[in-house]
Amino acid sequence: MKLEGSHQLEASRERVYQSLVNPEVLQRCIPGCERLERTGDNTFAATIRAGVGSIKGVFDGKVRLEDLREPEHFRMVVEGKGAAGFLKGSGNLDLEQDGDFTRVNYSGDVQVGGTIASVGQRMIQGTAKMMATQFFTCLGAEAKTEVGEPPPQHGFFRTALRWFSGWLKRFFRTGRG
Amino acid sequence: MIPAPFDYQAPATLEEAVTLLASDPDGAKVLAGGHSLIPAMKLRLAQPQLLVDIARIKSLSYIREEGDQILIGATTTHYQMESSELLQRICPLLSDCARSIGDVQVRNKGTIGGSIAHSDPAGDWPAAVLALDAELVLLGPNGERTENAGDFFVDLLTTSLMPGEILREIRIRKPSGRFGQAYQKVPHPASGFAVVGIAVHLALNDDGSCRSAAIGVTGVGTKAYRAQAVEAALAGTNLDDNTIASAVAHICDGIDPNADLYATGEYRCHLAQVHARRAIQAAKTKAQ
Repeated sequence: MKLEGSHQLEASRERVYQSLVNPEVLQRCIPGCERLERTGDNTFAATIRAGVGSIKGVFDGKVRLEDLREPEHFRMVVEGKGAAGFLKGSGNLDLEQDGDFTRVNYSGDVQVGGTIASVGQRMIQGTAKMMATQFFTCLGAEAKTEVGEPPPQHGFFRTALRWFSGWLKRFFRTGRG
Repeated sequence: MIPAPFDYQAPATLEEAVTLLASDPDGAKVLAGGHSLIPAMKLRLAQPQLLVDIARIKSLSYIREEGDQILIGATTTHYQMESSELLQRICPLLSDCARSIGDVQVRNKGTIGGSIAHSDPAGDWPAAVLALDAELVLLGPNGERTENAGDFFVDLLTTSLMPGEILREIRIRKPSGRFGQAYQKVPHPASGFAVVGIAVHLALNDDGSCRSAAIGVTGVGTKAYRAQAVEAALAGTNLDDNTIASAVAHICDGIDPNADLYATGEYRCHLAQVHARRAIQAAKTKAQ
């Protein structure tokens, strides 16, 4: 399955890049992430309790970062498995500075197998998109805080509120009524 | 196919159900018809600690008129909706939509409230209640509140229901004046879920022109939505074939369509256009 998308964050490219490779920020921003540890130079181990609605599963996974070219590009290789299925994939993240904003473009290829793939196939892409939106909304808030400032609070409401206000901004900028 | 262990409670009243839910907001789940939750539990994709069965609360199953509204209890089954003489007469979109759901067994057991609260991206009811501007009555530990259908569906399987809240009632304004409705659907051959589903409610002026159009779309995005660009392109027109054909071209505007092994996003949008056109034409014919 191909995954592609683009999110605009209100922070400099350097800040966004730093946040994207910072395990503490990632743990706070990956939806349902219970554990994220550095296991090597650019490798991490994670436990994620992911799900939408009543559908939930726990996944153990490994993440490896490659081709690091700060602050514009890296490649992410992911492998995870849980009782509900497994996933394997890799993708490229590219960061573009656009005035005060940074645009993150991602594209990747993911294989999903097991129960989730056989019965939840029609929802996998939607789930991925929803989690990506939550992740980047959170990351945008993290990247906006200054160095030394305490990290922003996250929770369903705060994330939803940020998502909504971001949407409003876009809505008014494009001038569509 | 054996679910993880769970507790089961069948309260006699809705208030008891709310109290039970509040005792474990994260681990408790409401069970209505069980046609989405039970399969997910058998596959262990869902592992609630406690099921609060509201299907046995008799006072939650009804269809009645009150003032200028139609009130529908949350555990009213698809079959009750399909066979309701009242709905067939005053709001046929609801009975047509019910008739298109699953098979006889599913319709006998599945409920309108369960389907709306689950917010399956391919569920039929979300499209219909959006097109009818329904109000949803939600009961929680802090009392009752109402939410417009348009604000209720948040994202994939996600609604504005808070943990501990139960969808109690669906309220629909009785259609009046000259109007026509239609539900058009492409069912998935295996599951019966909507690959695309289009619910249309047209209000016409006396001269036959379109006063307003409301179009609910399911199956295409991560949640059901109103096709506002299509509605705007139809309002005020005579609904001739060319107008309809050019209006439905906007059915996927602003939507990133779902893709799976059965249908690509592009194919889904194409289906949505074709079936929106047919649904609008059918609704127009019924209004005349």
